Amino acid sequence: MDKKEQETINDIHALSRKQQRNILKRLFGFAWAFKKQFVTAIIFAIGLSVINIILPRLLQYYMDNYLVHQDTGIQIIVGFAIVYFIGTIIKAIVQFIQNFAFSMGAERTLERIRSQLFRKLHTLGMDYFDKTPAGSIVSRVTNDTKTLYDFWTLFLMILVAAFSMISAFIAMMSVNVTLAVATALFVIALYLLIWLYQRLSSKIYQRLREYLSQINTKLNESLMGISIIQQFGQQKRMISEFEHKNNQYFNQRNKMINVNSFLLYPTITLMFTLSEVISLGGFGLESTHTIVAAGVIYAFISYQQNFFNPLSNVMNYMSYFQDGMVAGYRIMKLFDNQTTSPVQNEDSAQKIEVGKIEFRHVTFGYVPNEPILKDISFTVNPGQTVALVGHTGSGKSSIINVLLRFYEFGEGQILIDDHDIRDYSTQELRQKLGLVIQEPYLFYGNIANNIRMYDDSITDAQVEQAAKFVDADEFIERLPDAYHAKVIERGSSFSTGQRQLISFARTIVRNPKVLILDEATANIDPQTEQSITRGLSKMRDDRTTIAIAHRLSTVQDADQILVLSHGRIAERGTHSELLKAGGLYSELYELQSMD
Amino acid sequence: MGIFSRLSWFFKHRWKQYSFGVLALLLVAACNVVPPRIVGVVVDAVSKKTLTIKFLMMNLGLLLLVAIMGYFLRFLWQKMIFGSSYVLERDLRNRLFHHFMKMDTTFYQKWRTGDLMAHATNDIDAVREVAGPGVLTLADSLITGLSMIFAMGMFVDWKLTLYAILPLLLLAIMANVLGNKIHDAFMKSQAAFSSINNKTQESVVGIKVLKALGQEKQDEADFDKYVSKNIKANKKSYRLDAMFDPLTSIIMGISYVITIILGGLAVIHSQITIGELVSFITYMAELTWPMFAIGSLFNILERGSASYDRITELLGEKSSLVTPRHEVKTTPNGPLDFEMKKFHYPDDKAIALNNVSFVLKEGQTMGIVGPTGGGKSTIISLLMRDFDHYNGQITVGDHDIRDFKLDDYLDTIGYVPQTNFLFSTNIRDNIRFANIDATKEQVKAAAHVADLDNDIDDMPEGYDTQVGQLGVSLSGGQKQRLSIARAVLSDPELLILDDSLSAVDSKTERNIEERIAENRSNGTTIIAASRLSSVEHADQILVVDHGTIIEHGTHQELLGNKGWYYDTFNLQAKNAELEGRLNSHG
Ligand SMILES: Nc1ncnc2c1ncn2[C@@H]1O[C@H](COP(=O)(O)OP(=O)(O)OP(=O)(O)O)[C@@H](O)[C@H]1O
Ligand SMILES: Nc1ncnc2c1ncn2[C@@H]1O[C@H](COP(=O)(O)OP(=O)(O)OP(=O)(O)O)[C@@H](O)[C@H]1O
Ligand SMILES: [Mg+2]
Ligand SMILES: [Mg+2]
Repeated sequence: MDKKEQETINDIHALSRKQQRNILKRLFGFAWAFKKQFVTAIIFAIGLSVINIILPRLLQYYMDNYLVHQDTGIQIIVGFAIVYFIGTIIKAIVQFIQNFAFSMGAERTLERIRSQLFRKLHTLGMDYFDKTPAGSIVSRVTNDTKTLYDFWTLFLMILVAAFSMISAFIAMMSVNVTLAVATALFVIALYLLIWLYQRLSSKIYQRLREYLSQINTKLNESLMGISIIQQFGQQKRMISEFEHKNNQYFNQRNKMINVNSFLLYPTITLMFTLSEVISLGGFGLESTHTIVAAGVIYAFISYQQNFFNPLSNVMNYMSYFQDGMVAGYRIMKLFDNQTTSPVQNEDSAQKIEVGKIEFRHVTFGYVPNEPILKDISFTVNPGQTVALVGHTGSGKSSIINVLLRFYEFGEGQILIDDHDIRDYSTQELRQKLGLVIQEPYLFYGNIANNIRMYDDSITDAQVEQAAKFVDADEFIERLPDAYHAKVIERGSSFSTGQRQLISFARTIVRNPKVLILDEATANIDPQTEQSITRGLSKMRDDRTTIAIAHRLSTVQDADQILVLSHGRIAERGTHSELLKAGGLYSELYELQSMD
Repeated sequence: MGIFSRLSWFFKHRWKQYSFGVLALLLVAACNVVPPRIVGVVVDAVSKKTLTIKFLMMNLGLLLLVAIMGYFLRFLWQKMIFGSSYVLERDLRNRLFHHFMKMDTTFYQKWRTGDLMAHATNDIDAVREVAGPGVLTLADSLITGLSMIFAMGMFVDWKLTLYAILPLLLLAIMANVLGNKIHDAFMKSQAAFSSINNKTQESVVGIKVLKALGQEKQDEADFDKYVSKNIKANKKSYRLDAMFDPLTSIIMGISYVITIILGGLAVIHSQITIGELVSFITYMAELTWPMFAIGSLFNILERGSASYDRITELLGEKSSLVTPRHEVKTTPNGPLDFEMKKFHYPDDKAIALNNVSFVLKEGQTMGIVGPTGGGKSTIISLLMRDFDHYNGQITVGDHDIRDFKLDDYLDTIGYVPQTNFLFSTNIRDNIRFANIDATKEQVKAAAHVADLDNDIDDMPEGYDTQVGQLGVSLSGGQKQRLSIARAVLSDPELLILDDSLSAVDSKTERNIEERIAENRSNGTTIIAASRLSSVEHADQILVVDHGTIIEHGTHQELLGNKGWYYDTFNLQAKNAELEGRLNSHG
């Protein structure tokens, strides 16, 4: 794992201009939906700047016009105080609206991205999930998006800064054109500085995000595998590996601090003082041959201060911006991921009526050029039961993975009811093909929810019936809350067999036209298994069944048995035909009946 | 503010860095005083027409020097204070991880993965803010604020200053009222974030089920519900958050009102000059920034304290595993004596095991069979010390297993769990998980016992093939066999197989059984199985149902019992017989 992760880190380049523009454009695309909030915030931010200019002027006016007269009455003073206070209240309201609107704009934007990202996940194919650790996906959907909250603040800061910089610049121009222009030239220095910062920090932030994601991955995996770690006494090793990752992240953080504190906020005060040096020098030199009023110098320098002050904020938010850009980059990379699920003709109204399945010379591999299934051909007629048997790793589950369109196959054709499988909409396929997977997975919630999943049209009675069908009713009804008994993460408070039964019931309750069982009873005792098999065979005539089982006793009355070996169908026929043929199947069978 | 004292252990630990940082901040404040002075001196010289080029250059040089000093001082405090805050982040995260590694099954049944992850990222981040921006804001606003107040009193009028800053006491009230509310709100926000983490985690791990059911759309809708809840929770905290600045403005406004009235009267009554009032108001304007900083400080502190509460709660969880009263130093060996009067899972009233006892001599093999959910894995998990609280006793060679050091005890057991979990690394490291220094030969031998060596040799990258969450997935049977290889690697005294051959074909099963028997002639073995064939040759077989032993004996004895075992055996035999008939017909 470390090698691959290190490669990812080494592979990081600074974001190019084009990439940055692209990320910005797309992030703005998401924010566009909340322009109301953002525009409100901007308007009120500008309003706030205006109020911040007016209030001190008001005080100025009060002092210049009233306090100079000894006869100013108490009414005027109090009246003025009231006016000032009203101004303050208005300011407070404006401040609140600006803050709140902006927060909500940023919040809604990031949640929208989050929600779209989650949607994107569901369009990705199984190969993506095979290769991407859960922790890193979760980190993308939750942490990276969260980083975008502070991202937008920079733009507000820039707007406010531009507003006060322009007014300060105009004021400076009115005092001294040359020095005003000289001050403005610092903007070029600033631009260069930001450019340098972008170049240096873009890599650092990308590494940071990547390390964080790796920390999450490590953490996630350690939590999911905690029992193994403890049972094998490997806590120390896991801790040292984790601390190593955490340290790498920490070192990157230190680099970040170096770059940020060298290039961001401290530079503004430096620039301001430098510009002070220039203007003071300028005025000073001028004063050696002409008269310069002291007030002019003061005024000019205070305008300069107004010019640079808001830039501190801008620079402070630069780092959030950069972090956000990088998070945006990672998010967009996920949006652009092309490992999508196999494509179906979604508009097709084609329905699966009888459940005939045909494979014609199908070839498939998880990795290109490494075929797992080779030239697979077979037909399952409506109502028939076909069993797939063979050594472990021979490709049984892979046939099902292909039939359920979890992966795209290579050559050959798969037909359902004599139509190409791609001619059915995904929904139709999912509805008519019911799969019980080899490794049951239960979701947090309760038992009924786990059987029904999101299909609310399934009644309680149907849920109970399905549970009864798989013989799970007995144990469920013994639980204090019966069907509403809590299911914790991964269903780990149930026995493995019980989980398998619940997962079986989940498929049965949907009454699929084609039932596909991948070792669906591997962890279930023979008596329960027998009872399920009996139940299934009662209704097998209106249902096509494909079953994988290692226990040949459960498949021996199948209409057809396919024996897989190294990805090929090595033998086919009924149980007795295969026994007579004396090949692989009979060998496997002998072994079992010897027990 | 309480959060600072709760984090004091950290500040004590990093006191040097923080002192340096604050010192640098103080020096920066001092540096800030210099430029106005220089400007004043130069301007005075200009208006008195005494300015010489030399004097000007000297002052400009000084200004430049101060600017450069200020620059480095700013760099220094950022490095010291922010640098330390990331140390806190790192240390807290390490501490959480240590804690996670120590926690028991009960803990993991209570907390969800996504939630635990949120603690280690989102919450730690909020606490880090306290130690970085929090400390900075506090120090900075105190330095600026106090020096301004001092200047106001010193240069203008102490009485007026006192009245003017009186409303600032309202800040304390605001902090208290709003602080409590925002603490709650942040708690809820962080919890909502945890839920989103949980939700995403489950959808990703359970993706195959969702795909198979075609419920992507519904799952998205469900996710959106969590998103809406999150927005709602955050909205509340943002609303409170947005109130700090306006309230500060109003408090400052009151101060201004007092200044306008009292200061105005003082000017009219010639107690102070108008010029002094101007300075006073200028100083007050300088106070604005520290006041707003205090608002954002409370925000940081409350967020951090909410998160720190969450983390402390987690760290406060204790493993319910017993630490030995009188620790036994010897390595566990000898017969296993299992005597369980009663056991029930924590937080579950139903009795999981009731009067289950057996003795397993060294070198013997015991089978456990019984209906689904009968209690087979429960017996094993007690042996594995997942739970330590029960009415009964498990001893190995006369020592209660709870008296051994957990690691010493577990080291003697090789365990293949019923559900497989592989780590995201190559096959080799997965096999030698228990002993990462195991040699190539040892790994190969283990793979051979698990009948996995041929499969591995068929893979293009052999033992270097990446498995788990990164890289190729293995077939169900391959995973199971990898788990077996992992368990037999260290040649443990006791090997426990929990239904570990359920996903392999009969030929492979036979191979593995033979090889285990061959390799472990002295070892003790426990096999739980749903198929009787796996336990037929065991020295003793337990049949457990509803948490009790309903039958106990050898294969032959059990057949004689005519109970569950006999029925099940017959069921299998009947199938075989039926088969035989079919054969003779055909
Ligand atoms: N962590 C737990 N908390 C509460 N109840 C549990 C927990 N684990 C198991 N149980 C319950 O204890 C009973 C016995 O479970 P156990 O896992 O021991 O069964 P098992 O015999 O191994 O079954 P299987 O053949 O399905 O593996 C079941 O009813 C199960 O629901
Ligand atoms: N997602 C995957 N990515 C890459 N290779 C895979 C993947 N899933 C399975 N394989 C490989 O494909 C081959 C066939 O696996 P498959 O799961 O089809 O076997 P199986 O016949 O179902 O075996 P079992 O009986 O053990 O479940 C195996 O060698 C396996 O390692
Ligand atoms: Mg399989
Ligand atoms: Mg079990």
